[in-house]
Amino acid sequence: MKKIDIKIQVNGTWHELTVDPGERLVDVLRDQLDLTGTKEGCGEGECGACTVNLNGKAVLSCLMLAVQADNCTILTIEGLQKGPELHPLQKAFVGEAAVQCGYCTPGMIMAANALVNNEPEVTDDIIRQHLSNNLCRCTGYEGPVKAVLKAAREIEEGTHV
Amino acid sequence: MFQNSTGAKTMSVHVQIEEFHRPRDLAQAVEILSRFGRKASVIAGGTDVLPLRPGVKKMDNINHLVDISKLGLTYLEKETDCIRIGAATHINMIGASPLFLSGPYRALSEAANGHSTTTIRNRATVGGNLCNASPCADFALPLLVLDAILVAAGPKGKREIPIRDFFKGPNYMALETDEVLLEIRIPQCSEKAGAAFVKLRRQQTAIDMAVVNVATFLICHKGRCEVARIALGAVGPIAFRAKKAESVLAGAEINKEIIEEAAAAAAKEARPIDDIRATAAYRKKMVGVLVRRSLENSIRRCG
Repeated sequence: MKKIDIKIQVNGTWHELTVDPGERLVDVLRDQLDLTGTKEGCGEGECGACTVNLNGKAVLSCLMLAVQADNCTILTIEGLQKGPELHPLQKAFVGEAAVQCGYCTPGMIMAANALVNNEPEVTDDIIRQHLSNNLCRCTGYEGPVKAVLKAAREIEEGTHV
Repeated sequence: MFQNSTGAKTMSVHVQIEEFHRPRDLAQAVEILSRFGRKASVIAGGTDVLPLRPGVKKMDNINHLVDISKLGLTYLEKETDCIRIGAATHINMIGASPLFLSGPYRALSEAANGHSTTTIRNRATVGGNLCNASPCADFALPLLVLDAILVAAGPKGKREIPIRDFFKGPNYMALETDEVLLEIRIPQCSEKAGAAFVKLRRQQTAIDMAVVNVATFLICHKGRCEVARIALGAVGPIAFRAKKAESVLAGAEINKEIIEEAAAAAAKEARPIDDIRATAAYRKKMVGVLVRRSLENSIRRCG
C-alpha cells in the first residue's frame, strides 16, 4: 500500500499528515487528529452525521478520502466556536432543545453553518431541504429547524459577537 | 483508533486501496488506467465509488483509484452551437447555473436539484452520475432528450459517443477501462423547444433514488408538435427513449387527449422490476403520471 503525504487546514491549523490511500477524511479527523466531534453514522452517505465544511461547503467526510482533501480548508464542530461564547448555531440548538442523544448534532450544525454562510435569505423551507441529508431519530426536526432559523436571523442582524 | 480483540491498535481503514493516483495530466491518467485495466477506477467526487466497498457490490477487484478532479474538467461553457459541461463539474454547479434556468435546458437544473441531497451534490459530478450507469441515473434522462454528445479520451485519442449509445446495462457503459469521460456537449436547441425532468422518490434523502424518473422534450409550433422525445429511467436495465410514445406525439395537434395517449404508450414501453423501492406494477402506473406531468411542463416552456 502506497502511503501519501497531504496537507490540510483543520479549524485554522495546517497539518502535514501521512495517510493510507483508502483512509477517509472522517478516519483522519477522528483517529489522527483526535477530533471526535465528527461522528460516523452509516458510512455510506445516507445519514449526514459526518458532515463537515470543506472550503466553506457542507460535505460528507465518510464519502471522501483524506487524500481528496489535500490542500483544502476544513471546519469541524470543534472549530465553530470563536472566543469564549458558543457559536449562535450552538447556542440556538441548546436554547431550542434541538438535541436529544446528540449523535446527529455536529453534522446537523455543520450542514446548517454552510447554509447560513452561503444563503442570503434563509427560510424554513430552505432549512428543511438543506437538513434533509441529516437524519435524526430522536427529536424530530422541529427543534433543529427552529434553532437554525433563530441563529440565521441573529447572524443576519449581526447581534452575535 | 480503536482497540481490537487482540488489544492492538488498528486504524479504521474502510476502503482497501493499493494506490491513489494523482495524474498531472490527461495523458498520464490514461496511461495509468491502461496499466491497471480492470483493477483501476476513475474517481472524481467519489460519492459513487467510495460506498462500493469490498464485499459490497462491484468494487471487489478495484484497488487503484485515478483522480481526475484536478485535470481541468470542471467547467460550464456556452458556445454558439452548444453548451459544454466538463465531466468533473459538480452537480450543484449545474443546479445553480443561469445557463439552465429556461427553455429546454431547464430539464438539467431540475435533474441537478432533484439529485440526492445538497451535501452530496457538492462533491458528486455529472460525469460520475453517467459513468456509474445506474438505470435510475438522473442526468441520463435530460441528456437523452437533449441528444447530448459525450466526449471521451483514451490511448488512441478522443472520440465522441452519442448518449443513446452510452448505456449498455446496469452499471455498465460504453467506455473502455482505459478511457476517461471528458465532456458532455448539449447541442443548441430550437427556440421553440421546451423540456422538463420529473422524478418520483419516497423521500428527499440520498438513499431514495428514483422510483421512476422521466424527461421530455418538445418542439411545438402553432399548437402542433414537431418533435417529441421522451426518456424513462428506473424502469428498465438502462435509461432509454420511449420511441412509441414519441411517435404518438410527433406531428399531432397538442391537446389533453394526445398527452394522455402518449403517457399511456410510455407506460406500456416501461419494463420495470419489483425491488425495495416499488413494485413493477406501481412503477408502470407512475410512468404514465410522470410522463403526463413532464409533457405539460415541456409544453409550457415551448417558446
